Amino acid sequence: MGLAFLVPLALAAAVAVAIPIVVHLTRRRRSKVLPFPSIRFIERVPYRVESRRRIHHWFLLTLRALAILLIVAAFARPFVDRSAEAEAAGTGPTERVVLLDRSWSMALGERWSEAQDAAREAVSELGPLDRASVVLFARGADAVARSTSEPRRLREAIDTARVSDQATAYGPGLKLTETILAESELPGREVVIISDFQAEGWTGDEGVVFPPGTRIRTVTVGEGPIENATVAEVALNRRQVEGRERVSPSARLTRTGGTESREVEVALSIDRQTVQTRRVTLPPEGASAVAFDPVTLGADQTQGSISLTPDALPHDDIARFVLSPGRAQRVQILVPARGAARSFYLERALEITEAGDFEVVSSTGSVPSGDALDAVDVLIMVGRPLGGGAEMARVTEWVREGGGLVLVAGEAGGWGAGGEAIFPGALGGTEDREGRGERLATLDYQHPIFERFRGPRQGDFSAARFYRARRLDVQPSDVDSVAILARFDDGSVALAERRSGDGRVLVWASTLDAEWTDLALQPVFLPFVHQLVRHASGRTDAFESFTAGQIIDVADGRAMESAGLGAIAEAIAASEERVVLTPSGVSFEITSGEGSHFLELSEAGFYEIRPPGRDDLRPVSVAVNVDRAESRLAPLDPEEMVAAIRNDTDGLAGGIAAERADALRRADQERRQSWWRWLLLGAFGILIMETILSNRLSGRRARSEHARV
Amino acid sequence: MDRTATASARFLDPTVLARIGNLDLLARTVVDGFLNGSHKAPYLGQSMDFAQHRPYVPGDDIRRLDWRLYARTDRFYVKQFEAETNTDVVAMVDVSDSMAWTSDAARPTKLDYARFLAASLLHLSRRQRDRVGCVTFDDAPIEHVPATARNLDLSLMALERSRARGPGNLERAVHHTIPTLYKRGIVLVISDFYEDVDDVVRAVRHLTGRRQDVILFHLLDPGERTLPPGDAVSFEDAETGEQVPVIPDRLREGYEAVIDEHVAALRYALVREGVDFVPVDTSTPLDHALFAYLTLRAHTTRRR
Repeated sequence: MGLAFLVPLALAAAVAVAIPIVVHLTRRRRSKVLPFPSIRFIERVPYRVESRRRIHHWFLLTLRALAILLIVAAFARPFVDRSAEAEAAGTGPTERVVLLDRSWSMALGERWSEAQDAAREAVSELGPLDRASVVLFARGADAVARSTSEPRRLREAIDTARVSDQATAYGPGLKLTETILAESELPGREVVIISDFQAEGWTGDEGVVFPPGTRIRTVTVGEGPIENATVAEVALNRRQVEGRERVSPSARLTRTGGTESREVEVALSIDRQTVQTRRVTLPPEGASAVAFDPVTLGADQTQGSISLTPDALPHDDIARFVLSPGRAQRVQILVPARGAARSFYLERALEITEAGDFEVVSSTGSVPSGDALDAVDVLIMVGRPLGGGAEMARVTEWVREGGGLVLVAGEAGGWGAGGEAIFPGALGGTEDREGRGERLATLDYQHPIFERFRGPRQGDFSAARFYRARRLDVQPSDVDSVAILARFDDGSVALAERRSGDGRVLVWASTLDAEWTDLALQPVFLPFVHQLVRHASGRTDAFESFTAGQIIDVADGRAMESAGLGAIAEAIAASEERVVLTPSGVSFEITSGEGSHFLELSEAGFYEIRPPGRDDLRPVSVAVNVDRAESRLAPLDPEEMVAAIRNDTDGLAGGIAAERADALRRADQERRQSWWRWLLLGAFGILIMETILSNRLSGRRARSEHARV
Repeated sequence: MDRTATASARFLDPTVLARIGNLDLLARTVVDGFLNGSHKAPYLGQSMDFAQHRPYVPGDDIRRLDWRLYARTDRFYVKQFEAETNTDVVAMVDVSDSMAWTSDAARPTKLDYARFLAASLLHLSRRQRDRVGCVTFDDAPIEHVPATARNLDLSLMALERSRARGPGNLERAVHHTIPTLYKRGIVLVISDFYEDVDDVVRAVRHLTGRRQDVILFHLLDPGERTLPPGDAVSFEDAETGEQVPVIPDRLREGYEAVIDEHVAALRYALVREGVDFVPVDTSTPLDHALFAYLTLRAHTTRRR
């Protein structure tokens, strides 16, 4: 322990103490000028030169010098350095952060109770000047007790903590800890990480930088052999049978640990009723598949699950899903009166689906109007021009409201006046491809239509030959709103898309029959046509389940529609309230109004959403499963994590880091002692005293001089 | 002391006199008060100027009968004469800058005191039928009022108008004044004599060489006899503007010795020249100076 200065260089300013001394010595006091009749006789007086360097007011000089010294000392930031003492004693005010893993893997065995005990022990070690925080982390992190020295609050935070349904992610918890430590003014910092240290939650690039000098202690719970069976994946294959949709559930089961094969019972539940069971033998560290008989979907929002016999870690023993009968997309194909055969291949391709995805109507008439058009999801014009005027206006409005229009150019395809508002570019004349014809050379595999053909052996468009095609010119000004999805060998456009309002317009420059091209004869034709129509319709497959921790913005109609929750979005948009019942039985309302309305799916299970007071109605269900990645229980070496954090922390060379840590400790001590305030206060007090004294002295001198005059 | 005497003494106090703006009134007040206080006016004038004739009445001094007029008119007339002064009295008042100084704001400056004194002396002289004149000077005569029986008012006006200006030089002033002193008379030099004793003596010799009786009134403010208390003061010469920083506390003794030595040397030199020297403290009432003047005047008359 000894007196130290945080800014010792400031002491150099102590030479300023010489200022009042020099002033006292050298300042020629501004002597008063007295008129005198004659200085003749004064000059005749023999005198000796009086030294001007005489200090007249020792007390004032002392006060002034003392004030300067105090100010200098204040700026030098003095403090009593107790670092060595604290280090020797191992005590001192410490900010301790207890990071408690509450991912669902912590529910395995006695892990959670062990973790809570370890956390209680960590907070019980607090000294009287220490503070502690309790941070619960899983996919996110939450400081349930922040920088407090009250043991009761800390214990309550630990006692009331529960295992969540979310997977492990160390990043958020460590980042929150970093923030707490950075905000702390205590010189000591310690982090206690209590976890099962699953390798799955550690990426290694969390970028956590703890303040220098932070001690990290790890407490590993649940060490020892692990055995866990998991419903790893569920597939729900739909098939249209006799006009009804049937779903064939199947699942992949995995097993971690174990030494011998184990037979488990797998149950399929529909609307919370077990409808089928299977017995499956799971080898140690192996996987098995199980398939159930098809189930006919009778109603919307059917809740289903595939579950195992619960084991030591029950969270991943069940996979939940919600099924609703799919609605076939209504496709209206318009062909010219004399060319009905031109849509033959197209119609056949659209009819061939397992789940009856498309409901195709072909006609040679005009564009439907009114409700008939509104009922159409995709309108395909095959070699038939779209007239201008009222027909164009009707189609334009329908497209902008979400309709999908596909124009297969052919010989006579095209559009009339006003079509430039929705169609990409302009259709030119027919161009013959000489010899063996053109190929599709450039495809936009990032686009949803071609994305599924991206991988190897996922579809070969190069086999198709194109002998004739219409010229499709895309204006440079349209480039932003128009996407060119496919080009021929010569660079001319084969397929282009333009979004207009909520709808899409696609133009195919050739034909979809066997007249101008042999694409219809290629294997890739059928999936291509399906993707083309699906994309034109703008519809995507509904989400059958979500993962715990995901958040849904119920005000985002498009996202909700994609999630199969369009009804909820419409209700919210119409300012109708909905009550949400969470899997744990808590209910709350989603209120209407401006802005986003988030529904956090924090629990695994079924969320049910219905209008308030209408328990009789079948609710909209959202199935939420735990993150299966958490099932991979392979542990991480805690030392690896600590080393990684320490490396980040001590990013500078060890010596420099130590210096920084030392400087921080010194700064902390100085900040806590804050002597400079008292020194400045003392200096000001002395200056005030000096002012009063000097004024009094000046006044006295002035009075005496006045009396003389 | 009766009330009248007390009141008169009070009126002679320079501090009180300083409040009287009119110099004539002031001089009358001083002289009347002085004379009343002394109860005796030593009228010394003997010469008489003719004023008028009046018929003889018994009891008149027959030596004053105008026999020539009796011869022409055959009647007795007595000649009446105005009192005639014996001498010219000229007050030479130093109005150099050093005179405009006082150590106490309530007290008149040396110049004021000099004016009071000169006015009183002239008034007193005039009461004694002297012809009076006045010269104000610094390093040369500034205003010159010749000595006549009627020039008292002009002299007082000249004193009234006088203001301190420039450095003083008595010898030069005397040198320029000498030609105007036609008759034998009395010259009253009122100054602080911040000059070398030799210079003063030379000036006095000029005057005495012209058969002038000289009385020097040496005015000194009490504040000039010593230095004010204090540890650091710059004294500024009233005439030259020169400043000298001194520590009065440490210089006081030496200064007092020097000024005393100067006064003593002045007195000694003037006495040797047969000149009357009257040191006047400006804090003392005027009657001190007036008494000194009258006493010296009596001696002067007897000398003649």
